[in-house]
Order: sequence, then structure tokens, then C-alpha cells
Amino acid sequence: MPITFSEFLTMIADALSSQQGLNLAYLLRPTSPHGKDLIKEFRNPTRNLLSQYEGALVAPWDDIAISYVLVVNAVAKNRPQDAFKEHSSLISSFYRYFTSNNGWTLPALFAILRDLRDIAHDADVVTHKTESMEEAARIITKAFANCVADRTSPIAESRKWGVYYIVGLVMKCYFRVKRISLCRNILRALDANPDIPPLSSYPRSHQVTFRYYLGTLSFLNEDYEKAEKELSLAYYHCHIDSVRNQQRILAYLIPLRILRGYLPTQELLDRFPTLRDVYSPFSTALRRADIKAYDLALDKWERRLIDLNTWLIFEKARELVMRGLFRRVWVASNKSTRIPIHMFHCAVRVIGMRVDVEEVECFVANMIYKGLIKGYISHERQTVVLASNGAFPRLSDRKNAFTINM
Amino acid sequence: MSSNNASTSKTTPNSLKLDEQTREQKPPQAQLSSLEEDDEFEEFAAQDWDDSKTELANLGGANPGDVRDGDKLWEDNWDDDDVEDEFSVQLRNELAKTGQGTTGVVGGPSTGASASNDPEAMQH
Repeated sequence: MPITFSEFLTMIADALSSQQGLNLAYLLRPTSPHGKDLIKEFRNPTRNLLSQYEGALVAPWDDIAISYVLVVNAVAKNRPQDAFKEHSSLISSFYRYFTSNNGWTLPALFAILRDLRDIAHDADVVTHKTESMEEAARIITKAFANCVADRTSPIAESRKWGVYYIVGLVMKCYFRVKRISLCRNILRALDANPDIPPLSSYPRSHQVTFRYYLGTLSFLNEDYEKAEKELSLAYYHCHIDSVRNQQRILAYLIPLRILRGYLPTQELLDRFPTLRDVYSPFSTALRRADIKAYDLALDKWERRLIDLNTWLIFEKARELVMRGLFRRVWVASNKSTRIPIHMFHCAVRVIGMRVDVEEVECFVANMIYKGLIKGYISHERQTVVLASNGAFPRLSDRKNAFTINM
Repeated sequence: MSSNNASTSKTTPNSLKLDEQTREQKPPQAQLSSLEEDDEFEEFAAQDWDDSKTELANLGGANPGDVRDGDKLWEDNWDDDDVEDEFSVQLRNELAKTGQGTTGVVGGPSTGASASNDPEAMQH
């Protein structure tokens, strides 16, 4: 049974009076079945034609309902730019209601903002530009301000519970169009509002999405310490059935953990075959201190690692393989505390690298500086004097694993 | 509306075909898909969930990421003192050849280098 526009208005009125946020979200979603009915009811609707319905619902809901008809029509006629315009106007009307009420409409807010982002994407596909997505991000940012500005609602019904979902969505917009530096503004605004409930008290979907984007942003800005922290939290709190999201998180987290001195176990890799294909050659090479295999993997997977933005990490982690190699020299020398540099040189040549002994001395010096080897070099005697205890500290024991690698 | 979404453009519009509820209900083989650039972080089907639906449930109370506390997803101790592979044998042979397989105390200022057969190890 098709739903008429006046029935639609009644349904909205009901949702409003009973304060059913999810129901409201459903009513405003362009994909909902009543959308099709309204397309049939109004063949060629314009705002002008529909103006007769102004006042049919308490403002701004009459405008919102009218905008909804225009949105579903534009979508049906495959005019994403018009749809974007109308949906933007729907949202700005919605904000008028939103800001004068507590947070009960948050589910509807989330739904219409998500749809805005989807429509913006479609509009940009048509124009081959990114302006709609950037505009969407700006519109969504306004919702952030509207949420944090809630100083009157009791905390349980506060609009502030929308904050992290919205920040996540804004970052998702900027990531989509590769304008990630623009994320900084909303993150700054977040920092400037200390009276927001702690992130851990938000729904997990909000937490995980926010942490994923914050962690990824930190990763791309080479703030690896923060990236590891956020992505770890994202991973461990992610829903276990969201395997693709887990995989997204691990794509960054595994390389970071490797650089910190933690290898993914086979059990973990086996659960994510796509990641296993790319990353296991590196962890195997690290385990065996096999620099040749490591270099082969770097060469073979270069393109893929660049696509994943993780090439740089594996380039940096190469030094950890070198450390393993030098450790094997030390073991082969019965863990002597004095090892002539030429022995390290010898090991490097055994695996087929052609480097000068001076270069090897330089490797060792760097590793000592970075805390990978404990000892000092007697340059005069061309000997490495190693600490009698813990000459090769466990990698994960380094406090400065990330900072010193810069 | 669905017919209008049969887009023929190269980049498929991702929107409005499925709402976020249905989007999550893809079959498990989705995990085999590659990590494409456009394949972005997905909306979760649920809003909130408890620990039993997370990796935390598999930790047996261990601190996330803490190997020594019992997190079995990672390992941090793979240094092996008893490797007997081809490289080890080769390495030992090479070290023996140089007469420096094990070094005791390094002697006077010049002995370290002069005892070596390796010409590249010569100083200045």
C-alpha cells in the first residue's frame, strides 16, 4: 500500500511526538520504501509547487518533508548534484530543530549526515571534482558545533553524544577526497572542548571509527607512537564480525608493531589472508634475520606497500633485520664481548652484500646510537666492545623505538 | 529508485543502493577482497557491543598488545641462539678462516687489524 505525502507527514508528526529517533531516521532516509511512493505521487516536484504544504507540519518539519520529496526525486532522476543541494537544505532545516532540543534526534542526524556524504560522493563522481565532498564535510562540521553547544540537556540526553560520530564522519569525508590535512580543524575544535564526556563512554562504533581515523592520520603524519596507541585501541575494540574493518586497522597496525619489535603471530596473520600475503615475508625474514629475503620482499611488494602507505615503515624496519644479522655474528663468536668489525663485515659479505668495512662500522655505530646494540666502538682497534649483559636488548624493550627511528 | 543506480560510470557510486544495515550483511568471503584504496572504513551494523564481541574476549584478561602478559597475537622474542641453517655454517666457516672465530682479549693497538686476513679491514 503506497504511502501518500500526507500520511508521510503524519508519520513524521508521530515520530516527533513520541521522540523516536530511529523511526525518524528511517523516515528521512532516501532509500526507504516510502521514498518511491512519493516519487510516484509527485512527478515533477519543485519547491514552489510543494510550498502549498508549508505549515502542514510544525516548522521546520514542513520544510524538511518538502526537501525530502525533492531529494528522493533528484536521486531517482539520477541528478546527484541536485540531490546534494536539496539534501543540504534538508539538513540545514533539521539543524534548526536539532539545536533547540536535546539529543533524542541523534540517530536521525547520523543518518542524514551519512546520506549527505554518500550523495556528495555521487555528485563528485559526475563532476570529477571534490567540491561536494568538501562542502559535505563543512556541513557536517556544523553539526559538531551544534552538539558541543548543548549546555542545557541532562547528560544522558545530551547532544554531546553525537560528537565523536560526527568527527569520525568529517575525517571520513576528507580522507575520501585526500584532503587529510583539513582534518586538523575539527580535531582542534575537539581539543578546545574539554567538557565532552570521555571517549570510552561513547558507543563502541563511535570510538573505533574515530580512533581508526585519528590513528591513520597520525600514521600518515609519522607520529607513530600515537598511531600505534589509537590503532591498537581501535583493533581491540572493533566488532569481531567486522572483518574488513579489522583488516583496515591491521594494515597499519602490523607494520607499526613490527617496528616496535612485535611480530604478528601466524595465528593472527592466518585470519587475514590479504595481509598475510604482503606482510608475512617480512616477518619471516625478520625472524630469521635474513636480510636477503627481506630485501627481496621489499622489492617484490614495493608497489603494494606504497599503495598501503606502509613502505616507509618496512624500509625503516630493515635495520631490525640487520640487528638480527649482527646478533648472529655475536652468537657465532660465542657471545664474546669484543668483536672485530671485520667479522660483521664478513657476515655482510656472506649474504652477498657488497659494502666497505667503513660502512659496516657506520651500521654498528647507528645501531649503538639507537639502542639496538649496547656497547661502543673502538675505532682505533676496529673492535666493537659489547656490554657483558644484554648486548642485544630485546627489541620491544626499547623505550624510544619510534622516536629514534625518525 | 534502484534502477537509477545501475550506473555505468567507472567509479560506482557507493551510496543509496544499500543502507548501512544491509551493507554490513555481506557474506564472509568479503574478507578475501583486497585492500583497495576506495574500500574505506565501513559503518558498523551495530551501535554498541560488549567485550565478548571484540578481540578483548580472546585475551584471557591480558593487557591488549602485551605479549608478556599473555596476548598471543604478537611475539617479541624471536632471537634464537641455536640456529643451524646454511647461513650459520657459512658464517662460522668464514669467521674461522679469518682466524677470529672467537676472540679473547684484543691485544695491543695494532694487533686487532694486523691479525686479520681481510685486506679491507686494514686501517688507514
